[in-house]
Amino acid sequence: MDGSLASSDPGPSFAKPPGSSGDSGPCASRSSGPGPEVEVRALVSMAGGLYPLARAEALRGLAAVVEKVGTSGGAVECCYGCAVELLRDEDQSIRLAAVRLIGLCAEKFAGREEVSGIGNGDQMDLIFLQLSSTARDMCMQVRIEAFNGLAKMQRVSEGVLLQSLSKKVIRTDTGSGSICKANKLPPKLIFPCAAGIFAHGIEDEFYQVRIAACKTLGALAKFSGQYAQKALDLLMDMMNDDTEAVRLQTLQTLFNMATYGYLSVQEKHMHMFLATLIDANAIVRNAARKILGLVNLPKLQMFRSALDGLITSLEKNPEEQDIYSILFSIGKNHGSFSANVAKHLAKEISTAPNGELILDKHRIQALLIVSISAPVSADKHKKLDIPSVIFSHAIPLLGRISSALGEDIIKDLSYLCHPSGMPFAEKGLMSGEGGRSEFWSVETMRGTHALIEKTRKETNCSDEVLIMGSMRLMLETVEETWAMRESCGIEEIRTILRTCKEEVKVFAIKSSGSTGAFLSFLCDYLDAIRCIVEIRQLIQLENSYAIGPTSLDILLEKLDTYVRRMKCCYTGLNRELEVQVLELVLLANLFRLSKFGVCSKLMLDKLHWIINQLDGLCADGSCEFSDFSNTVKQTFDANVIDGTLVVDICNFLKIFRLKPAKDFGMLNAASAVLQVLGNNSENPLPYICGLPVGVSFDISLSNISGHDRIWIRMNSGQSIQHAFLELSCFEGNDEVKSCSTVIPFYATPLACSFVLRVCLVIECPSGSICTHYEEHGGPRDSVVQLCDELNVYLVSTDTECKN
Amino acid sequence: MAIECLVLGAGQEVGKSCVVVTIGGKRIMFDCGMHMGYHDCNRYPDFARILAAAPETTDFTSAISCVIITHFHLDHIGALPYFTEVCGYHGPIYMTYPTKALAPLMLEDYRKVMVDQRGEEEQYSYEDILRCMKKVIPVDLKQTIQVNRDLVIRAYYAGHYLSKLKVLGAAMVYAKVGDAAMVYTGDYNMTPDRHLGAAQIERLKLDLLITESTYAKTIRDSKHAREREFLKAVHKCVSEGGKVLIPTFALGRAQELCILLDDYWERMNLKIPIYFSAGLTIQANMYYKMLIGWTSQKIKDSYTVQNPFDFKHVCHFERSFINDPGPCVLFATPGMISGGFSLEVFKRWATSDKNLVTLPGYCVAGTIGHKLMSGKPTRIDIDKDTHVDVRCQIHQLSFSPHTDSKGIMDLTEFLSPNHVILVHGEKPQMAFLKDRIESELGMSCYYPANNETVSIPTTQNMKISATEKFITNCAALQARDSLQKSDLISSIHLSGVNEDERLAEGILLMEKSKAPKILCEDEFLKLLGTDRHSVQFEPLLPSRIEEAEAAIVDDLTSE
Repeated sequence: MDGSLASSDPGPSFAKPPGSSGDSGPCASRSSGPGPEVEVRALVSMAGGLYPLARAEALRGLAAVVEKVGTSGGAVECCYGCAVELLRDEDQSIRLAAVRLIGLCAEKFAGREEVSGIGNGDQMDLIFLQLSSTARDMCMQVRIEAFNGLAKMQRVSEGVLLQSLSKKVIRTDTGSGSICKANKLPPKLIFPCAAGIFAHGIEDEFYQVRIAACKTLGALAKFSGQYAQKALDLLMDMMNDDTEAVRLQTLQTLFNMATYGYLSVQEKHMHMFLATLIDANAIVRNAARKILGLVNLPKLQMFRSALDGLITSLEKNPEEQDIYSILFSIGKNHGSFSANVAKHLAKEISTAPNGELILDKHRIQALLIVSISAPVSADKHKKLDIPSVIFSHAIPLLGRISSALGEDIIKDLSYLCHPSGMPFAEKGLMSGEGGRSEFWSVETMRGTHALIEKTRKETNCSDEVLIMGSMRLMLETVEETWAMRESCGIEEIRTILRTCKEEVKVFAIKSSGSTGAFLSFLCDYLDAIRCIVEIRQLIQLENSYAIGPTSLDILLEKLDTYVRRMKCCYTGLNRELEVQVLELVLLANLFRLSKFGVCSKLMLDKLHWIINQLDGLCADGSCEFSDFSNTVKQTFDANVIDGTLVVDICNFLKIFRLKPAKDFGMLNAASAVLQVLGNNSENPLPYICGLPVGVSFDISLSNISGHDRIWIRMNSGQSIQHAFLELSCFEGNDEVKSCSTVIPFYATPLACSFVLRVCLVIECPSGSICTHYEEHGGPRDSVVQLCDELNVYLVSTDTECKN
Repeated sequence: MAIECLVLGAGQEVGKSCVVVTIGGKRIMFDCGMHMGYHDCNRYPDFARILAAAPETTDFTSAISCVIITHFHLDHIGALPYFTEVCGYHGPIYMTYPTKALAPLMLEDYRKVMVDQRGEEEQYSYEDILRCMKKVIPVDLKQTIQVNRDLVIRAYYAGHYLSKLKVLGAAMVYAKVGDAAMVYTGDYNMTPDRHLGAAQIERLKLDLLITESTYAKTIRDSKHAREREFLKAVHKCVSEGGKVLIPTFALGRAQELCILLDDYWERMNLKIPIYFSAGLTIQANMYYKMLIGWTSQKIKDSYTVQNPFDFKHVCHFERSFINDPGPCVLFATPGMISGGFSLEVFKRWATSDKNLVTLPGYCVAGTIGHKLMSGKPTRIDIDKDTHVDVRCQIHQLSFSPHTDSKGIMDLTEFLSPNHVILVHGEKPQMAFLKDRIESELGMSCYYPANNETVSIPTTQNMKISATEKFITNCAALQARDSLQKSDLISSIHLSGVNEDERLAEGILLMEKSKAPKILCEDEFLKLLGTDRHSVQFEPLLPSRIEEAEAAIVDDLTSE
């Protein structure tokens, strides 16, 4: 009797294992080698032992085995079954190990399904429910582990997912219902056990659990759109969490969801989003922005409020330049909305008084960037009408945009220069062709970080190339602006030029050396052109009615200064540039000529000298002798005999072509530093009224050659005194020279104290023609300042004076 | 053995919680509350029934092993001084430290209201309260206390709060006599708060769970949503230059909202002042600081770095600030604007439509808070002569008390007791929950009315010794089994391992005055001194040949 009982015992239990009858069949044939089976059997029997610590250790051992074995084979089922049995153990460390093991098994099952292609949705749902039932465990680690396990699930049915969000039990007849009917589940493990685990999870007392719940919420979003939408509601609530780590994790989750396109923001979420944009924490703000750059906003109203939020954020934290790139990508993602914004902005620009639109305003900058992003948007099939005035205003922001965006975008931005300069030209908008500009496409946060980091590195090394590139674009713009001087209002041209210069200045701050010199040269160039445009305007006006002569005088003087600077203060100008500068000098002189009507001998000599120089430069044919120069030369040759020159300046101006050089070579800017050590308004130098005072200067000169004539100009009230600097006394090479020298100032005033304004000037050679007479023993030619004026404070030692 | 459960109060009603449980001859009284709705003898539990149920004795001290109070709400502790001082119970009383600290305040407050305001006859004096509190033995969480030789009790964190008063120190109580074990929950909360944690308990082997069921049918929505609405309303009001009045009670609620606002202020970088009316902070924060171990994890964590109740953006309110221009947020007592400072401020601020008044979830009828909640009145009469034109906005804070039905189900599922008794709830809801527990969790569930007794069978474990031969026999049997199995497993599959039921055969011998023992068949025979008799059965197939023959004969004859 004993024997018969024993032998018949294993029979029924093998024929029909109650827990996993459905799965054992197909797996049976796929048993692998004997290795894991022995381990599994030993561990499973230990897991059923009496002592909790041994049970927990056995489960951990099983987990190690499961990690080791392949997806096939019955070992996984075996471990899974064992873990399920211990899921409700009294000891929390056992529950923890069991949950972990189930999570591992779920991964293996999912992997197996992927290989075989046969999905077993019911089994996945079952595991999901089992893990869910532990998500309300009283032990914190178990809850965390349960959520971590849930995050790894694959192919969970929508009904179960939705149930996990809602505390209320959703009664459905489909899918989930079948599980209950199939009686596969133990009596306590039925559908409602998943109810609201996330609703509880995100309210958990421990932030670690909340973080885990948040991660899982996001990870599961890929299975169901409806779930993703509802999960978003919960995630939005979590942005108010009191722990920063949770808020950051929430944003990370939202970012991931947005990256994979499961994030559909609704109006009710906007309030929360906008609040995070102005969060006190920079990381939170940054993360919130990144999400905004990815999401799709269904309504114009939401789009506008997002923009407003970003602008507010920009105003509060102007140092966060990446807002611009976010604005750009938002605009790009919502082509038609951006076009709408552009339209409104254009209206605003046109109604702005006197064209004075303050580009420094963050709002205008932000809206401009959004506007120009419209053409690169995906809605290419729609015809997006971006008013051209937007582009001309956006040009100066190019630098800001390009530094905020990656290089990819910069390529796209090249379209900007075309419509911007020629609003009347019938050129279609050149949008960035193809979808290669998807800067914010599918990338994880880390990926984006890496990209940004890489771009930054590349930008650093290719900085100069980049600047040169954008400057070239700008010069093209300037050229085109010049071309439209007839058709456009002076204001518009002036605005373009002024903003261009601003932009150059922005670059100039960061750069040094040859690039810096080039940029400062450009500044002068732009100034000169602006002057020419303005002078031209004044001259044309003068034809009709009189206008105060002073403004013209000032402009002429300004133009002279700019041109002189370009001529004298830069070394290494190539021939093309030299010709251009000379042409500008010529033009400046012609202006003077036309202003005074009659020309002196001196003036004629000067013109002659310039033309000769031009001639000489172009003689070998390396440079083109322009129509302008040619005409001037012919006019000059024809009229020179009688000593007067009747100049129709308007005619010349018409011929004058602005043709910026394509190649700039290596420019060097002459500059100087002038210092008086230890002197300031608090510590003045002593002097005796009426007697000369010696001031000790530290001077350093950069890029000054031995032939240059440098003067130190000292100036107090009416008295100006020039002192020549003997360059041979300087130490150093051509690049940097320095010396300390004591220079006396003779005309000290009869005052208690005075301020001596000192500055270094360089003489501009103009052949042998003397413009200035050496009245005070000063420079023969016109001069250009090399540095800013330095104030030297002097105080009288005379006691009488003090009284 | 059985557990006898006599419900003296809170049976199919809310109020005067009092359950007397008899386990293994030990009688424990859980809670000793009073009913706030009655002013006659119905206000206290009918203590006489305890004596009726205990015929062997005539006084309470010997009838009851101990009294355990879960928390300091009057419906859980209100009758205690009466029971000890008037009825004369002198046995041990257990409660947690915070409860012991806060209970006398509550009791004395109520006694004053009863005697001074209503002019009722004094049931017990202040001295009675003090004498009663002297008998109290404070317990810590998870501290196991051996009440007497058999009875063991242990308190667990219950995290309960009520809308009026956040409750520190609420506990669930585990009691065990022999093998019979039970848990009495008191009021508890399964959703954590900003400053109070969620209930925490271990998985125990229980025969009985007595749980509250205030929200037996309700499922509350997310706490976050309510907080968000609150913050949104407050932020909107102050950003438009309005003033926000938040009437609160001294303990708990103000702290909760203040943590919330302070946090939000910090994040949003708001500079608008948050005021606490004097008195609120001093008393309440003192208790909270004292009892930091009873708060939520976040508060505990941050306590080492900074005192979480020292709010960064909160300052004290001076009476002269009432008419100051500009936005602000003010916490003022009492919570239902029934008078005092919050009424004074309300009178001034309610007339502007820019201002906002947030009301607690529950207001007693007759208070201004109640009037504001029921519809939106435009004019409120404070007394015969004064009235207030109400133009301000009103936001209702629905921070609700107690755990919801989901929480009850979760706890019940987690503890997995054999039986559940519902108390502290409304009858129809309890019936609903009973059905759910029975159908979904498969436990038997009861919801007795007051003064009813439920008897619950308990499991009883018995120690049995086994003979050496029996054990060796078993082991040999198993070894053979597993050998056979291992052959099978390696050749087929592994799933059989889980169904390893170790069967063994033996004979249980229970003799009087001897420990029960299990032994083998031959040992048993030896013990009896008899030989083995075997009875064999032969299968016997009934045959009806005669009938069949007769039938055939019949057939033949008929032909």
